[in-house]
Amino acid sequence: MVRGPMRADRKWLWVRSRDDPFPRDRRWVPRAARPPLSGAPPDVSLPFADLMALAGRLESEKDFAFADRLLDRALIAAPEQPDALHLSGIVAFRLGRREEALAKIERAIARGIDIRLYLRNISEVYRALGRFDDALNAALRASALAPDDPVCLHNLAVIQYHRLELDDCITSATKALTLNAFLPGPHFQLAEALLLRGEWERGWEEYQWRFDLPGNAPLMPPTTQPRWDGTPFDDGTLLLVADQGFGDVIQFSRYIPWAAERCPNIAVATASDMIPLLRQVYPAAQLFSEWRAAPAFKAFRALSGLPALHGTRPDHMVGSVPYLRADPVRAAAWKERLNRLTPTASRRIGIVWAGRPTHNNDRWRSARLADFAPLAALPGVALVSLQKGPTAAQAGQYFGAAPLVNIGAEIVDYEDTMAILASLDLLVTVDTSVGHVAGAMGVPAFILLARAPDWRWLLERTDTPWYPSVRLFRQSKTGQWSDVMAAAAAAV
Amino acid sequence: MSASNSGLCPCGSGLRAARCCALQAGAIPPAEATRHLIPLVERAIQAYQQGAKDVAERLCLDVLELAPDRPGALSVLYSIRKEQGKPAAAEALLRRLVHFEPNNFEATNEIALMLLGKGALGEAEIHARNAIRIAPQAPQAHNLMGMIMTEAQRPRLGEYHYRQVLAIAGTRDPIVLANLAWCLKNQGRMEEARALYEESTATAPDIRETLLGWARLEEADRNFAAAAEKLDKLDALFPNDPGSVLTRAILLGRMKRPDDALALLDRQAPTTEDGAHAAVPGAAMASAPIGLGPTELSEKGRLLDQLDRHDEAWAAFTEAKRLAREYTGNVYMDLLAGDLVNRLRGFFVSGRLALLPRAGVRTDVPQPIFVLGFPRSGTTLVEQTLSAHPAISAGDELPLINDITNIMPRMLNSPLQYPEALAELWMGDQRDGLDNLRDYYLQKAAQMEVAEAGAAWFTDKMPLNETHLGLIALLFPASPLIHVIRHPLDVMISALSNHFTHGFHCASALETAATHYVRVMDLVMHYRAEMALRYLPVRYDAMVTNQADTVRSILDFIGVPFDERCLSFHENRRYARTASYAQVTEPLYERSLNRYRHYRQHLEPVIPILAPMIERLGYTVD
Repeated sequence: MVRGPMRADRKWLWVRSRDDPFPRDRRWVPRAARPPLSGAPPDVSLPFADLMALAGRLESEKDFAFADRLLDRALIAAPEQPDALHLSGIVAFRLGRREEALAKIERAIARGIDIRLYLRNISEVYRALGRFDDALNAALRASALAPDDPVCLHNLAVIQYHRLELDDCITSATKALTLNAFLPGPHFQLAEALLLRGEWERGWEEYQWRFDLPGNAPLMPPTTQPRWDGTPFDDGTLLLVADQGFGDVIQFSRYIPWAAERCPNIAVATASDMIPLLRQVYPAAQLFSEWRAAPAFKAFRALSGLPALHGTRPDHMVGSVPYLRADPVRAAAWKERLNRLTPTASRRIGIVWAGRPTHNNDRWRSARLADFAPLAALPGVALVSLQKGPTAAQAGQYFGAAPLVNIGAEIVDYEDTMAILASLDLLVTVDTSVGHVAGAMGVPAFILLARAPDWRWLLERTDTPWYPSVRLFRQSKTGQWSDVMAAAAAAV
Repeated sequence: MSASNSGLCPCGSGLRAARCCALQAGAIPPAEATRHLIPLVERAIQAYQQGAKDVAERLCLDVLELAPDRPGALSVLYSIRKEQGKPAAAEALLRRLVHFEPNNFEATNEIALMLLGKGALGEAEIHARNAIRIAPQAPQAHNLMGMIMTEAQRPRLGEYHYRQVLAIAGTRDPIVLANLAWCLKNQGRMEEARALYEESTATAPDIRETLLGWARLEEADRNFAAAAEKLDKLDALFPNDPGSVLTRAILLGRMKRPDDALALLDRQAPTTEDGAHAAVPGAAMASAPIGLGPTELSEKGRLLDQLDRHDEAWAAFTEAKRLAREYTGNVYMDLLAGDLVNRLRGFFVSGRLALLPRAGVRTDVPQPIFVLGFPRSGTTLVEQTLSAHPAISAGDELPLINDITNIMPRMLNSPLQYPEALAELWMGDQRDGLDNLRDYYLQKAAQMEVAEAGAAWFTDKMPLNETHLGLIALLFPASPLIHVIRHPLDVMISALSNHFTHGFHCASALETAATHYVRVMDLVMHYRAEMALRYLPVRYDAMVTNQADTVRSILDFIGVPFDERCLSFHENRRYARTASYAQVTEPLYERSLNRYRHYRQHLEPVIPILAPMIERLGYTVD
């Protein structure tokens, strides 16, 4: 009946929801059998404790709708029972009813049984709602009530990272690890804080824990082959797994030639979207996107694990930029199309206002097209939207002064994106894969960062060691884009 | 048979419905079987000509009961019903006559005139073209085409046929000359029109329609004194002529004497419909009720608005709409409009658009600039501004995109309607279908001589062309799409204070205008979300408050160098043919912004419909 820590889904592994490249091979992933009771709530009356235990099990098995109905029934019988209120709040949160979740857990706290659990969880709800002060207070109270609970400390560390209180974050995560050295969550939080502060050597070590985070799909099917430790060999294939989001793949693909200097036979497992880009980076690599096509290999490594192996520091980078370029034929065709669609005299600024909505930090990293108003007010500018996905429809609702071409509606793949980027004067984007593409191509780009940015952008600086053509603009307040956009517009 | 079959036809013909509007093909006997009725028909014609109309009517009813397709009887009965002021019966009989005798020139002429009078120009055109097929050398056939094409906003084509009349007849008939003058006035060729009016009045000085048309020419050309002089002459000949009163009221309004104009209208008790150019027979309402007609009431409302008597203005506008609905029977075609919008949304999606070809871009002829917007949202202002530029000609409201949506199934050899007919573009033999449709447009535009020499562009400001934004972008992928945006409530005020038929007759009532506005704007957003378009929204308010920068940005967008003349568009002597012709001859002033505030409480019913769009466009309601 005790709930585990409520964590939003962590980093994506490289399997994308849109087109899962390994539908057949995922059979080996162990799955819980469906609960025997599903569909309609049982008509038999259950003892309250059994009912709660069942609801708890359903919640952990993600059958939220059924759990929700059961808990409704429990709350009719015992409207103020704190455990039922709390669990019902968690289920409401899972179903996206955040305000209701908050109200229920707050009532549970007021009535109290397991207050430290309620506080621990409500701090996560507050955090998801962007109420960081409330989240911090709840997490502090929770860890004061349960100083020996590492999960409370971990939640606290997450909130402190979002508040950019990195010293506190590192302290909380370290304390959690002294209580239990094998919790992946605090390790990963520690990694993010260290990396963000530029302490990359220690950071890379902790960063390895990301694979053990609960809810993360495994990197690859089970294997008896070893993880590559950097030792050169030429008598077998080194398998690199292009894990995490597309941005990470583009960013870390610069390490492939470095790895190839040590192991010339390289195979890369990657989503098919990335294949044309990776082919440019290292044409000799064997690229595949379905595990059944995987070659025999001698050792493997996640692409995102190469910086640690290389010992990358902000002042010690690998490879050179640009390492991606547009196909000249496609670039010419898109240039002609853009010449027809936008005034040739104006400066063409590409824009991307949102990332993939399933990204765990999407709420904070993504903006709305309307936030780009300062850019749209500039004279002599034409906006070119490269936005894809569900938020792309915002382009239809734009009636600003600068003309906007919704070229995103015609973009099919990343090669189109690269060809279009080659015709732009500038890209202004939130932290998405398109920013990485522009950076890897050496195209001038402004990347607009959330208050607590991803570790790779470091702190305070306006440039980035990863991409010399990129300039960073940082939020001063979580969720507030107006000043960031104004600064970006002023810099155009 | 049922009781209703023995009853008289509701059209008022006097025939049984089964012999009239509910006639079925099987009920028509073979011509030989009713030969013996011919003497009766001849007697009916004779009786009619001798004035014995009761006898003629009885004979016709008897004949048509037995032989409902007898042309002579249909013709006589039609004439009788028309004289009796029974338009529904007359129309039914005339349509039947033309149906059974498609080569009857007289009947064809009659039906074309009747349809022209009703404003059913599309249908009228079909019959006028038939008239020319039947009698290519008949002056009246060409006169019909001249009148219909002039009213259908294709005055170049009208002019051709009027000149055919003059050439065939070999005489300079004063009425044809006046008709031609009106046609030229609609093209903004004021000097030539004036000369023709002079020539016409020299031989026929006392014709009401000629004097009225001439007065309106002078009014449009800002020769207010000359216009007043023609009206004085008209009044001396035809005291209290309603057309004259309306024209004088408009004139006084433009002379900044709204009080006098209003007093004039208020003095006018019984009146008739405007009748645009009354040389058009049947345009005047045959049986106008006591009081002002829709056009006069709208004018009265606009004058009251000028005088800041807003509540009275609103009352006049609403009454004008009510009367217009009553007279024309036109109401918003809600289901049809909703169906088209839904089908367009369903068809134009990015996945399908990726598979559709685009027409090539012609560089050998001037290309269209599409000025889009709801009627009365400022499209005339933008066209007038742009056409002051030497590289841009004013094409006015071109009906061509609508034409293409109609002829597309035939052009693409498709069993489907627009837009689904575009699926034919995937067939091997229709790969160049879009090029053909594009060329149809450009060829018609060339026939209409819309582009002046040296112009690279011409405007097409057909309102609500944005409904077909997807099609336009397929046909003209490089053409600028300039969408005039204005506060939706101000658009509603304009829609209420004017009469127009665009948009499935949505402007027949305030609520339906709002509904259609939202439908079309939603559709525009849909197109823009699904396609890369060369689209520029232009704020009417920005044109008024920041004209120089706004005009500069539009010209930049089109890709032509800035030209000072565009800023003084009100000196552009081009005559804008649409309802905005008077406004665009005035310098910009801010009175036209936020007019809705004066009508805030009257607009209450449409605010819920429009609120989301008002917010999306960045406007507020205060």
